[in-house]
Amino acid sequence: MRKYTSAYPALWRVMDVLEGAFAAVWPKKGGNYTPYLMLAPAILLVGTLVVGLLYIGDTSLRTLDRTTFQFSDFWTLDNYTRAFFESFTWTIIWRSLMGAIIVTFVTLILAFPYAYTMVRTTNSTLRKFLLIALFLPFFIGQVVRAYGWLIILGNQGIVNDVLGLVGVEPLRLLFNYPAVLFGLVQYMLPFAVLMLAPAMTAIPEEIEAASTSLGASWIKTMTYVVIPMAKPGLIGAGLVVLTLSLTDFAMPAILGGGTQDFIANAIYDQFFRTSDQGFGASLAIILIGIETMIVGLIFAVFGAGTLELGSNDS
Amino acid sequence: MTFKKTINRRQLLKTSAAAGTVLAAPSILWAAEPAKPAELIVRAWGGPWVEALKNGVSDPFTERTGIRIIHDLTEDNEIQPKVWAAVAQNRTPPIHINWDTTTNATKSALRGVCEDLSDLSNLAGTTDLAKPVGVEGYPIVNTYGYVYVLAYRTEAFPDGPPASYHDLLDPKFKGRVAFYNDGIGFHFPAQVAGGGSLDGIPDAMDPCWDFVTKMKEQNPLLGEDPDFVTWFQNGEIDAACTISTNALGAKRNGVDIAWTVPAEGSKFDTDGLWIPKGHSESELYWAKEYINSAITQEAQQVWLDGLGLPGVVPGLTPPEGLAGDPSYPTTEADFERLIRISGKTQVEHESEWFSKFKQIMQG
Amino acid sequence: MNQPFGQKALFWTLVVISIVTLSAPTFVVLGASVTSGNIITFPPEGFSLKWYGKILGEQDLRDAFMRSLWVATICVIVAMPTGTLAGIALSKYRMRGGLIIQTYLLLPFTIPLIGSGIGLMLAFGDAGLLGNLWPVGIATAVINLPFMIWAVSSSAAGLDPDLELAAQSCGAGPVQTFFNVTLPAVTPGVITGSLLMFILSLNEFLVSLLLVDARTVTLPVQIYNSIRSIITPDLAAVSVVFIVVAMLAITALDKFVGLEIFLKSK
Repeated sequence: MRKYTSAYPALWRVMDVLEGAFAAVWPKKGGNYTPYLMLAPAILLVGTLVVGLLYIGDTSLRTLDRTTFQFSDFWTLDNYTRAFFESFTWTIIWRSLMGAIIVTFVTLILAFPYAYTMVRTTNSTLRKFLLIALFLPFFIGQVVRAYGWLIILGNQGIVNDVLGLVGVEPLRLLFNYPAVLFGLVQYMLPFAVLMLAPAMTAIPEEIEAASTSLGASWIKTMTYVVIPMAKPGLIGAGLVVLTLSLTDFAMPAILGGGTQDFIANAIYDQFFRTSDQGFGASLAIILIGIETMIVGLIFAVFGAGTLELGSNDS
Repeated sequence: MTFKKTINRRQLLKTSAAAGTVLAAPSILWAAEPAKPAELIVRAWGGPWVEALKNGVSDPFTERTGIRIIHDLTEDNEIQPKVWAAVAQNRTPPIHINWDTTTNATKSALRGVCEDLSDLSNLAGTTDLAKPVGVEGYPIVNTYGYVYVLAYRTEAFPDGPPASYHDLLDPKFKGRVAFYNDGIGFHFPAQVAGGGSLDGIPDAMDPCWDFVTKMKEQNPLLGEDPDFVTWFQNGEIDAACTISTNALGAKRNGVDIAWTVPAEGSKFDTDGLWIPKGHSESELYWAKEYINSAITQEAQQVWLDGLGLPGVVPGLTPPEGLAGDPSYPTTEADFERLIRISGKTQVEHESEWFSKFKQIMQG
Repeated sequence: MNQPFGQKALFWTLVVISIVTLSAPTFVVLGASVTSGNIITFPPEGFSLKWYGKILGEQDLRDAFMRSLWVATICVIVAMPTGTLAGIALSKYRMRGGLIIQTYLLLPFTIPLIGSGIGLMLAFGDAGLLGNLWPVGIATAVINLPFMIWAVSSSAAGLDPDLELAAQSCGAGPVQTFFNVTLPAVTPGVITGSLLMFILSLNEFLVSLLLVDARTVTLPVQIYNSIRSIITPDLAAVSVVFIVVAMLAITALDKFVGLEIFLKSK
């Protein structure tokens, strides 16, 4: 018979102490509150943002006196009234909202086959290649990537050079709405794929095989089997792309040629150019309000996707 | 003979007393000079701008005093809320010296966050240009001026420079003209181009907006300084209303560019240096010394050679090729066609002009 | 499984479009960095490594890069426990007020970065925290937190609750179950999330812009500031160096953990 050097491993002793401490601090009946305890650090961390938001909210209620450049001592809703009544605000909100929706749509259309191929391929080198192609752009950063596109799509850029070979005059491919949307799509694509991939992995291949063996064409399989099963991933990815595009600042600024401002650009202008921090803050609050409503709506209608609650409770 | 001897002795006494004072003076000065900080932070625009500043002002200052200069390259617009927040929250501001546009600096001055610079010894040697218009005293010291010229690609204008902004309304320039994205530099000539007069600024600016609406038909590109340089270099535009330094930059990189002051005139404005409140006494002292050194002739000559802009001290030699150039005004006659509007008026109406311009261009 | 030809053709076309779109700027930046001229163009004029020589000699850039690494490290240290706990909680439990908590935790995305930046600057300023680097790390952790939470919760979604019950029926207390059963099961998600957080924090410039000053400036902010003044090929060179470092990191990651972890939920 083997001789044990110690009857009770040290690690177990440590665990016992931790268990004891936990039991002492957290009553047995507290089991229901465990999730709240686990969420507490995250809630606190995001709380710092909320504190910042309070400062912004306070600023939004103060108007700027342009002779002293001081903010008013008293609170007033003037900034909000101004925002509501200026038609420019609505132009921008509409442009940003439409843009974000289109970008989400296009990104998901491109991300789905990419995630599918990446997950389903049996060739591991190919999978790595696809993953790396996804990651590398992250390291160049949004702004430098946008400048890269300015060079490619510019008047003297490659695309126009190639078109010139067939005798087409240089086209103005940049500094318009489609250019901004394109820039947003190429920026959001990696995020969308990364969020879709785990959801796709969870769909067993056999189900697709089963569907085909029951006589469904590949389009039917996709539509009725794969996409619904990928729904949590699609919603998660869609939400992320929607919120990030709506609040993006760099792409509209760089690819838009100054004529395609999104909401974040308008906020930037007010904070930094006209020094009217109150007005900028009110625009920010309006944006947050609109977005929270949209997000809440999506959560309520579609469920939270991969962020789903209690998906494991049987 | 005795007389001479007496004089000699008196002379001797005088000179030795004088010598003694001179020798003792440094130690008196040292005693009066506050402790030197290890470094001072100066905000500057990057690229050729900060290089010119280093050569003309920062490096010589470091050599003289031993204080290291760190250049903060944050944009002037973006540092403003940071500085204002610091002063409002009683913290040390993130920079010691701000190299800013006079318009921006005027806002800070009106808000009361600038230290008073009236006691700088070298101010006595500067021209009127150094004094900011519309604010009391010297919360800012203007350091040079610049012109918002009409820059153009010579290839696109074979018959010579465009005589007026109306020339840019030609359909062949659709999508090939550029302005600052807040319309700055263009408002005032547009007022004239639209049939109005400069006296109408700021209260009767309809002619300006009418002309801007006409220009909108040309689908202009809107951007900031680095964009103009890139656009000219990449052949995206044929003409722009921009400061001459950008055109000069593109020219030095080999693009065939020239510039002119059209019939409507061109806006003239200044940049300056100021110190945010909230620094310790010793740091304030040395920051002031820095600005003081920036308005000496030697510093201005080297600094502004790199920028190609006219300074605020008399007797500067213009850089090669810029003597008599409309972007380098020095005499009264040069200033005839340039438009100068008080900083105070500009900052008061800026927000309004900004929104109107954006509304027309993007609405 | 053999995909039908129609599906393959369509999917692969789209994938190729995606790859080209994602990689094109990389090549442009690479090409522009080796130009012997002074302007960023593609194809480059001539070939010269002078821009690399220039940036490798600049102490400022090196310092900024080290600071960025430090900020990214703090970000991961803060986000890992916070995001993991939250991800597990959201995935395992059904709770009251869930919808509100979900929307609340998505705030970092719904608040525009400029708003977050200014708000945090004012809040940290009042607390006297500005001038240090660690608040910047915390800030980058906050604004990217949903990614971490998502990564962990999608991993935890695959966690079989029976495993935990089994552990408990064998006598394991709650703490032990957590460390020995739950945590190992979500490790793929934790690693994925942490890496994502690191990369995002390393590249963050908008919120950092408002929280740093000249003594604490990070690399992305420095690059952004330079671009606002003038765009020269040395910025392209910096980006290429970044990419090379990234490739090395990715290769190392692949050797240790396997890149496929990003695809797995289990």
